[in-house]
Amino acid sequence: MNLDHYLITDEPYYSPTQNEVALFEAAWVSRMPMMLKGPTGCGKTRFVEYMAWKLKKPLITISCHEDMTASDLVGRYLLDADGTVWHDGPLTLAVRYGAICYLDEIVEARQDTSVVIHSLTDDRRILSLEKKNEVVKAHKDFQIVISYNPGYQSVLKDLKESTKQRFGAIDFNYPKPELEAEIIAHESGVDKKIAAKLVQISERSRNLKGHGLDEGASTRMLIYAAQLISQGVSMEEACEVALVLPITDDHDVRNALSSAIAACM
Amino acid sequence: MTASTTRGKYNVSPQSKEPGDPDEGFLFLIDQGKVHFPAQYVALWERVCNKLESAGYGSLIPLSYVRHSPKLTKYISPEAAINLAACVSLAAIKVNRAAAELLPKASVIVAHELRSTAAFNSWMETIEELVQAAPESVLPVLERTQKIISTLTPEQFKSWVLAGLRSTGDDTLRQIQYFSFADPESEKWFRHEAGDVVFTDLDRRLKLYLISLWNLRPPMRDLPASTSPLSLRRISITNGVVRVPEVFPGFHGQQAENIFRAGLAHVGAHLVYSTKKFPLGELKPIQMALVSLLEDARVEYLAMQAFPGLRDLWLPFHVAKASGPKLVPHLLARLARSLIDENFRDRDGWVQKGKDMFFDSANDITDPAMCRRIGVLLGNDLGQLRAQFNAKTYVVEPPYRDDNMGLWDFGDQQGEEEDENGIFIEAMRMDQQEEQDESSQDQDKQEEDENSEQQYHARESTDNEERESEVAVRYPEYDYLTGSERPNWTCVIEYFADYGDPYKIDRILETHSELVNQITNLIQTAKVSLPERLHRQSVGESLDIDACINAVISRRMGQTPDPRIYSTTERKHRDLSVLVLLDVSNSTNDIVPHANASVLELEIQATSLLAYAMSELNDPFGIAAFCSDGKEDVHYYRIKNFGEPYDSSARAYLAGLQGKLSTRMGTAMRHAISELAAQHTHRRLLLVITDGEPSDVDVEDRKYLVEDARKVVRSASRLGIDTFCVGLEAGGENYLNGIFGKKNVAMIDKLNRLPERLPMLYLRLTA
Repeated sequence: MNLDHYLITDEPYYSPTQNEVALFEAAWVSRMPMMLKGPTGCGKTRFVEYMAWKLKKPLITISCHEDMTASDLVGRYLLDADGTVWHDGPLTLAVRYGAICYLDEIVEARQDTSVVIHSLTDDRRILSLEKKNEVVKAHKDFQIVISYNPGYQSVLKDLKESTKQRFGAIDFNYPKPELEAEIIAHESGVDKKIAAKLVQISERSRNLKGHGLDEGASTRMLIYAAQLISQGVSMEEACEVALVLPITDDHDVRNALSSAIAACM
Repeated sequence: MTASTTRGKYNVSPQSKEPGDPDEGFLFLIDQGKVHFPAQYVALWERVCNKLESAGYGSLIPLSYVRHSPKLTKYISPEAAINLAACVSLAAIKVNRAAAELLPKASVIVAHELRSTAAFNSWMETIEELVQAAPESVLPVLERTQKIISTLTPEQFKSWVLAGLRSTGDDTLRQIQYFSFADPESEKWFRHEAGDVVFTDLDRRLKLYLISLWNLRPPMRDLPASTSPLSLRRISITNGVVRVPEVFPGFHGQQAENIFRAGLAHVGAHLVYSTKKFPLGELKPIQMALVSLLEDARVEYLAMQAFPGLRDLWLPFHVAKASGPKLVPHLLARLARSLIDENFRDRDGWVQKGKDMFFDSANDITDPAMCRRIGVLLGNDLGQLRAQFNAKTYVVEPPYRDDNMGLWDFGDQQGEEEDENGIFIEAMRMDQQEEQDESSQDQDKQEEDENSEQQYHARESTDNEERESEVAVRYPEYDYLTGSERPNWTCVIEYFADYGDPYKIDRILETHSELVNQITNLIQTAKVSLPERLHRQSVGESLDIDACINAVISRRMGQTPDPRIYSTTERKHRDLSVLVLLDVSNSTNDIVPHANASVLELEIQATSLLAYAMSELNDPFGIAAFCSDGKEDVHYYRIKNFGEPYDSSARAYLAGLQGKLSTRMGTAMRHAISELAAQHTHRRLLLVITDGEPSDVDVEDRKYLVEDARKVVRSASRLGIDTFCVGLEAGGENYLNGIFGKKNVAMIDKLNRLPERLPMLYLRLTA
């Protein structure tokens, strides 16, 4: 089977914040399972896309969710006109034909689900399909990447220790102010000055992390605000729409944040 | 407390007599008054007057009534004038002659202000209520009629009176203090009712504001309005503690919020940019004031470079005009404005010079030293102008700026740096300083200052003695009479629980070993979350063969097959956290017949079995106990916190519980709920175990605390928190149904069976 439609053809915009590109390339050589840690909206997914493009490998992304079962990853029997027929799940596809398999927000999946990747993430590199009585040996190009946001989920949602220890990890954070401004300007088309102001505003919201906010404004949110501004929306309104209202319903936090943003204008 | 009660110029005092008073006879006054009444009321009024005259209240009361009541006909109605007599009579009987004599005059003031029958009647009703509930307090209230009625509406007045009665219980002395504004609480609630924004209303959002801007988290205290000496009407920073006045008088609504915000932004600027303290050296008070002013301008300048929007926050408070007499305070305010407002033109040579020196490009704006240098020079200039500066009466302008005491290093006070009350030392130090310069003294004022200073110290020290524990949190309380919550009304203090014998709990489990076995068996079935197979699903992990066969049959028969041909397995998770709140009030010391143990003892037994069940089930749970000693001291004991293991120390705390004091249930529940709300489970349950109705020493009205608790339960359910109550009471009026709702109360009448009933109840409740 051909995974060509999973290939990323155009270069995704990605601006490295440290040496993560080199680290990932080094890990790729031994197909080491990688874990990307960091707050939401700081560019983890974009980074994987960029690396897949750079390495010219297909990328299969799976967004994990609470109701996801092992069959959703591995595959299941379905019915067709003549009876049952096996359909590979996205993970099996990547294993069989060689792709980077990216499990986004893996903690969202139930713990028993994430266990199916264990045999793929040690030196065996196999996936057993019990229902089908088949053991799939991983293609040489198969690599597994997961993203993991340790911040916001409760104690109830954490990776099993046995899962955690199968990965190398790269820590992501919001880029440095100048770089972040550059990214915002590039993604939204606003000028550098506005972008820099937005970065200053984001600092106000990131200060509140742990004091009423679970997470400060992400780079992604700043880009949204900038996109609104580039459409002629005023800065105050854009910040309200993109940076304040989405992240909190707490009246006091909202008030404090809006006032702090006003102080930046 | 014998505090200064500020008597406004409009205050009425019973001694005041109108000119010509002695000459006016009763009959003469009646003749004069008659003309104000419509014909049909004249006879009635005369009869009422004569009745008062002959009632034996002395001559002054009827005279006062006859003199003042005719005025009510104009402002309100002849009926009101006549009805007043009954109230005067009531006051004369229940209170004293002075109050009864003052009442007609006070009514006229109120009538003049209100001019509405409904509002006037409402005011009278409240006075009558006060006469019944707290007769000793009537006179102080009547004496302050002008102040009260010019600020509060009759409804607000009623609410303020209620707050007073609620907060003072039936302690007459405290009532008098409250109603004569000698109690700081009084002023606070007065401001609250008047709609003034008090700091505690905005506390949280302003703290968040500072965190957001500079990631600053300075400890903040509010300064009660009426205890503050003059110098403390401004925000003050001492040793990192920010003291904020409870209210900025004269600022309302959004404006009040803005001035608090402006003030804290200014404090933030100081904390970030005022890195070094100025040594006091040989500076004169005027120089100190100037250096402080320049430093204010400097830190604001730096802050506005980072956050240009702060200008819009600060500027509206700079209202100095570039004209008027050249008094020092005025000149300082003009200088302050010219340093922040570039559009402000001031032709005064001294102000201009200050501005030029401040913005001289040779200055290093990041270095506070420039302020000292310029301040000294400008101070000398003022000295040469022979301008008078009175440090005692000087208050920093504009009002959002702090008193700048924190900027100065007073040298020899080093050792007292840690003292929280260092501010007073510093303030006194400043007083001493200026005494050398200034000979004029305002005797009264000083006395007043000292008075309130002592009060303030007294407050602090009692606070320290009582509050041995770490946490004190304030909660609102709901008053069904006003239909609203009074913010920050009660105070929960977390005390350390006494350590008991942890083996006592183990022994309880041993004695109830049969019950423990039973619980263990029940738990096995409750805990093991067996996967449940769900058939005929439209999505699933595997095919449901039966469904598939049916589907194929349907197809062969030419029918539309049922697409739900999958099966899936689902595990049922227990996802629940529980907080058990035990009532340990004095009544739990009662011995239960047939059980040979106190109610508390049975509570402990039951709770230890319950805790065993919960820990076996791995349900996250907490245990706390409460009792209360008035609204300011609701005791809260943490036995076991969420996230902590149920270990021997938790068991020791449980074993060490003692029954004492009263049952302010609503407040304790608020505290428990705030803790439970932080739990991230699907279900959250507050399990209250109590032996009776809510009550407290300072509450007379039995319905009040019941209604408050009911309100708490309702707001908990809005937060998605379930409340359930186990009532340990046989007979009597059942308040608990009213509070928790019938379905959420289990009454246990045979108390000796509580230990076995409670865990079973829990299992059933959470199944």
